[in-house]
Amino acid sequence: MSTPSPEANERGRGMDTHNAAMREIRAENDASYDPHEPTRVWIDEDRTPDGVRDSLTIVLNTGGCRWARAGGCTMCGYVAESVDGGTVPHEALLDQLDAVLTHEREYHDGTCDLVKIYTSGSFLDEREVPAPARKAIAEAFADRERIVVESLPDFVATEKLDDFLDQGLATDVAVGLETATDRVRRDCVNKYFDYADFEAAAESAHDAGAGIKAYLLMKPPFLTEREALSDMVSSIRRCADHAHTVSMNPCNVQRYTMVDELHFRGGYRPPWLWSVAAALERTADADALVVSDPVGAGGDRGAHNCGECDERVETAIKDFDLRQDPTVFSQVECDCHTTWETVLEEETSFCQPLTR
Amino acid sequence: MTEYFEIHARDGPARRGELRLADPLRTPALVDDVLVDGGSLWPEERALPAGDPASLTALPHRGFPAGTRTEVQDAFAVDVPDVDYPSAAVVTPETAADHPADASVLSTATGAAGHAERVLDAVLTVRRATPPDTALYLPGVATPRNVAALTYAGVDLFDAKLARVRGNQGRYLTTEGEYTLGDDHLNELPAPFPGEPPLDTFDREDCVKHNVAALESELATVRTRVTNGRLRDYVEGQARHQNWLTALFRLFDDEWGYVEERTPIYRSAPLAAASEDALRRAEIRRFADRVTSRYRPRFDDLPLVLVPCSARKPYSESQSHAQFHKAIGYRGHVVSVTSPIGAVPQELELVYPAQHYDAVVTGRWTAGEREFVSEVLSRYLDCADYPRVVAHVPEDYRSVVEAALDGRDLPVSWTVDDHPTTDDSLAALSGALAGEESYRKRTRQHRTLRALADYQFGARAGEALFADDLRVQGRYPKLVAYEGDEQVAALVPQYGSLAFTLAGADRALARGVAPRVEIDDFVPRGSVLAPGVVDAADDVRVGDEVVIEGPRALAVGRAAMSGPEMRASTRGVAVDVRHAEER
Repeated sequence: MSTPSPEANERGRGMDTHNAAMREIRAENDASYDPHEPTRVWIDEDRTPDGVRDSLTIVLNTGGCRWARAGGCTMCGYVAESVDGGTVPHEALLDQLDAVLTHEREYHDGTCDLVKIYTSGSFLDEREVPAPARKAIAEAFADRERIVVESLPDFVATEKLDDFLDQGLATDVAVGLETATDRVRRDCVNKYFDYADFEAAAESAHDAGAGIKAYLLMKPPFLTEREALSDMVSSIRRCADHAHTVSMNPCNVQRYTMVDELHFRGGYRPPWLWSVAAALERTADADALVVSDPVGAGGDRGAHNCGECDERVETAIKDFDLRQDPTVFSQVECDCHTTWETVLEEETSFCQPLTR
Repeated sequence: MTEYFEIHARDGPARRGELRLADPLRTPALVDDVLVDGGSLWPEERALPAGDPASLTALPHRGFPAGTRTEVQDAFAVDVPDVDYPSAAVVTPETAADHPADASVLSTATGAAGHAERVLDAVLTVRRATPPDTALYLPGVATPRNVAALTYAGVDLFDAKLARVRGNQGRYLTTEGEYTLGDDHLNELPAPFPGEPPLDTFDREDCVKHNVAALESELATVRTRVTNGRLRDYVEGQARHQNWLTALFRLFDDEWGYVEERTPIYRSAPLAAASEDALRRAEIRRFADRVTSRYRPRFDDLPLVLVPCSARKPYSESQSHAQFHKAIGYRGHVVSVTSPIGAVPQELELVYPAQHYDAVVTGRWTAGEREFVSEVLSRYLDCADYPRVVAHVPEDYRSVVEAALDGRDLPVSWTVDDHPTTDDSLAALSGALAGEESYRKRTRQHRTLRALADYQFGARAGEALFADDLRVQGRYPKLVAYEGDEQVAALVPQYGSLAFTLAGADRALARGVAPRVEIDDFVPRGSVLAPGVVDAADDVRVGDEVVIEGPRALAVGRAAMSGPEMRASTRGVAVDVRHAEER
């Protein structure tokens, strides 16, 4: 863990190929972004281990994910929104921080107890966020209750987390584990690290006094609906041992990704919202908070059902996120539930997607 | 090597076959009940399944859906193991190869369905890359509406997955459409089956059952059509109900190499020419091609007499042609002008499909028909050297004939006034030939046999096969050819083809005329099976007369598969043998 270098982790032909393909796909993007503005900021409420809190979510515009620059994950288009060239100077990051705080003052009465910082990469990677900027950010949010920072497991280290812990912040590292199955993470997602690396990162975080929030990806490309659901259920159960919160992201179709290419040619369908609900319902007894906030739900490029019930199911999922009560799902019904069941039964690896 | 799939009948690229499971399955068919999925290797490693003679096992695979990059497919490629039970290999157009499984499963099918060009590319590529006697399975795409066109393209296996999904979505499927239960405009259920509940109590479960039944029913129609050699006639009509299916069979019409190789050369089944698409059928284009490239006009010292076709076939048995014949009195060479065949010289009137087609006659020609027929007639005239033309055709043929004659220094007499069979017209026809000498019956018989040989075996085969000592016996159309005292061949009236005796086969072989199939060291009885074939001529087509030669035998018969297919197949009848002798 001392010399984080995802580039060196390319293993085998599959990963070489996935990376080469992803580099080619990403090269199609010619948009550019202002390094003085954050990529995105929004205010919401989130379930935390201490209860439901108002949350300030920040997507910092950094140089973007190092792994994504090498090619990266098959579904991830976030790097497309990053500044070209791979580095954002310290001063520009501080400008982004100012913009975030201004936004919060404008749209929220007082400060949010929970702050979540993403970078579409690793906040703890000092090539993305240099140590001085990290310390400045930690100080800026010292008055909050909890902070969540996104990072690949390689960059999790006690001294970095101490920046936040020393401010008295409950600190969580958000790790995009995607799945607890190494084979799926490697071959379908093209993410280079192993489950063991995640476990090790969780251990160092715990040793430092921080927590782990695991992010899982429902239905990476090449998996059927049933395979995706069963992989999700087992992944949630496995990583609940290391994470106090599991956030399940149903895969959505992002521009400049392999998933987008598949989707365009009719070779990929995002998961059904019924699958999201089923995964939550089946793991309600797991020893972790399990939440999901499906991006683009109801649309063709996000998790969706038949078009009639999408909003109701999404509402139930949000309700579950806050209350963790699985009975919310027995209150939504739709004829398309049988279609989904048929898809679970009939869709195979050689015959997918069976329906859009 | 295919052991568990066998093709019994071919109708263009379409095949009727048999999945040779413990309980055999006639194809094209749904495989839901017999398919066992060996599983995806994406989520986990899997052992090779034990297999089962009662099932078709899809071997463990990494399914590549539509849109998967070629280099990703290469990097994650999985070898297809050779197993001793019925097996299917999961492929894409990029990964399909000469694998040892009995069937290929196209994993990009769901992404391709609905796009004619994608299906065309996928089917062509997979068919060409895999052995001809393996079955092709398109999973997750079959509907009652599309299975006929997909079978026509060359697909053997389907499933009811999509029909069931659609049923669950309240979509009611028929061979001509798709209806939504609950739609205000749906007052009754079209194409219902006996025993189905009425619309007001018809639920989604009923809809699933209906869709699967409709799919099964349509596949039975398709199998019957393939067996009878009449799938194309059906598809030309039925595919009209969904545009991409019409596009699909039309795109295949542009794939001459693929379609022609698979299209029987002779059939006894009728050919319905009811739309302009018939002009693009391989059978029609092949006839036109052979008339202008293989057939040699031997009567072109006489006036060319162009006459319209007749509804009754062969033409010579029709009333109108009997009247023309009487007026002509063997003083001219009769060529019938017809859509969609083009030009039919009198010697070839029995040849498939000249004797077998049935066109819709209204007297209205489409621009496409005019262009095609005058083009064929023009190319025919390019190869002939007639002194003059007597055009005994009605008004609607006139522009077609004129276009073919345009720019030629050929005197033309137009002899039809009002209708070709009026007394005046027939008198004019006879008058136009006044002074010409008539040829003899023997000349007619000899030239007919030689013309048929040209058409069947290639340019100049007529003289090579039937030399000066040819003797003909029998009454037309049942002509029998002798060389000296020995019978060498006979005209088969229902196909318009020549069939050899063993003596004739021997001579044809010596003279390099007949297509040859080389077999192993055995004496065939009844049929030659594909594994017994050592080599076969490229140009052999289903229905062709072939001479079979091996270290121990000489035989003659009718090809049941094309030459390339005989060479590449490991199962099935290659030639139906008529005569064989040990050597």
